[in-house]
Amino acid sequence: MNILTARNLKKHFGGVKAVDGCSIDIESGTIVGLIGPNGAGKTTMFNLISGFERGSGEITFKGQRTDNLSPFKIARCGMVRTFQIPRALTKMSVLENLMLAPTMQRGERIWNVCLRRKKVLEQEQTIKEKSMGILEFFEIDDLRDEYAGALSGGQKKLLEMARAIAIDPSLMLLDEPFSGVNPTLSRKISGHIDELREGGMTFLIIEHDIPAVTKISDRIVVMNEGRVMTEGKPEEIKRRKDVLDVYLGGEG
Amino acid sequence: MTELLGAILPYITTILLFASIYAVFALGLNLEWGFTGLINFGHVAFFAIGAYTTVLLNISGCPLIISVIAGVALAGFFGFLLGIPTLRLREDYLAIVTIGFSEVVRSILLNEEWLTRGPFGVHGFDRPFQDAVPYQHYNTFLLILFVAILAIVYFALERLIQSPWGRVLKSIREDETVPSALGKNVFSYKLQSLIIGSAIAGLAGTMLAFYITYINPCTFKPIETFYAWIIVILGGTASNKGTIVGAIILWAFFSGTKFIDRIVPVPFESHQMGAFRMIVIGLLLMLLMMYKPEGIFGRKEELALSD
Repeated sequence: MNILTARNLKKHFGGVKAVDGCSIDIESGTIVGLIGPNGAGKTTMFNLISGFERGSGEITFKGQRTDNLSPFKIARCGMVRTFQIPRALTKMSVLENLMLAPTMQRGERIWNVCLRRKKVLEQEQTIKEKSMGILEFFEIDDLRDEYAGALSGGQKKLLEMARAIAIDPSLMLLDEPFSGVNPTLSRKISGHIDELREGGMTFLIIEHDIPAVTKISDRIVVMNEGRVMTEGKPEEIKRRKDVLDVYLGGEG
Repeated sequence: MTELLGAILPYITTILLFASIYAVFALGLNLEWGFTGLINFGHVAFFAIGAYTTVLLNISGCPLIISVIAGVALAGFFGFLLGIPTLRLREDYLAIVTIGFSEVVRSILLNEEWLTRGPFGVHGFDRPFQDAVPYQHYNTFLLILFVAILAIVYFALERLIQSPWGRVLKSIREDETVPSALGKNVFSYKLQSLIIGSAIAGLAGTMLAFYITYINPCTFKPIETFYAWIIVILGGTASNKGTIVGAIILWAFFSGTKFIDRIVPVPFESHQMGAFRMIVIGLLLMLLMMYKPEGIFGRKEELALSD
């Protein structure tokens, strides 16, 4: 069953056709890698799917049309994304970064804060315990009280993933989770993704680290010049000469 | 000794009265800027709307308490009206639109004489419990009342910003893309912040009117907005405690420099003293910012953080 179907997505910036008629299907519970050279339109695809940019085409997520929804509504449907450059909430603690995430918290409504203090505090306690659990899963629980802005680049990557998971998504869009991360941490992140998939989560991952992404993915989609060039199983894609050519920019 | 005390006490009462009014005023701005990151350069508009609504309703026969509630509510409502078209703008544009809005409000106060009595201003309205409190103690009573209002506003805001609601505001301040990617309706939270901040400014405007007993459009020049900014930055952005201390310091500066010519002989005529005082205040603020750039209650380590 497909959790996400995108049909004929288009996004043009002036004369630049960033995404030019792209279709993609993502089966529930799988890991799909999205690769392609710089400027292929991968991040624009992410922006279109997550609602941060408007283009044309149809997007259906869990049976519901989402191409006209604003990003926060799409997130509430259970789709979450991370960003190529991690966006830590600098002057908030690591724990606060996580506790922000769960959607539909009682205490996010001002009248509940004023009138139903006890219930808000109860839920806050649950959210705190859950957030600590996620921080432990990513092994950054010792950093809970640090400012997010004081973390290293790799730690910020982990924090961003942890924060995204805290909203209990069914589909995660990860934008270059392995870039700028040392090999040990990279293996650790792969491990986490695998474990979460076992738990039923679906992933769409943009990545330039081809060995890492082919190792983890069930299926690879290759984009070039705003279109899907080819797709298939990682082993097949690795053998394809035209994919290699696109990456190296040569004619072979 | 009692004579000296008798001379100083009213003077200190004045400082504290102004400080409490401006502390409430600046707490509204601190919610908007310090916690939500909204650059509001038109905060004075809501100060004016609160003050004018209250006194105009009162002189046309409305009971005082209802006039006050209406003043606060209308200031909040104008926050809502201003917020709808502007909060989707990028920060610097928001600053431009809000400063324009505050000047529009002042022009209306100045020119729509049928409604606002124009440049002559409004006086002769009631003050709270004016018949119950003897005249010679009225300012002391007012100070107690204002401190109580300040305390209520302070504790209410503290509770709000420490809640999950406040956490969303702070995340918007840090990077609004993140809360929207996490399913928060950023626009709605910004609007709520602006409405509450404006209502608080309206309350402060009402307090000001009760103290100075006479308001006119000149009471609400754009500089008032920047007094609130000075207070917030002085005290340490995003610290409500700092905002209160900042207000006291600013008014101590304003009033303290009145007597500077008695301490240091300065070669100025009395009419030049006003300008000279502003120079001294500016210098004091610059020194404070040089040696404590994070403000009094600000956190120094936050200045060093990067995205």
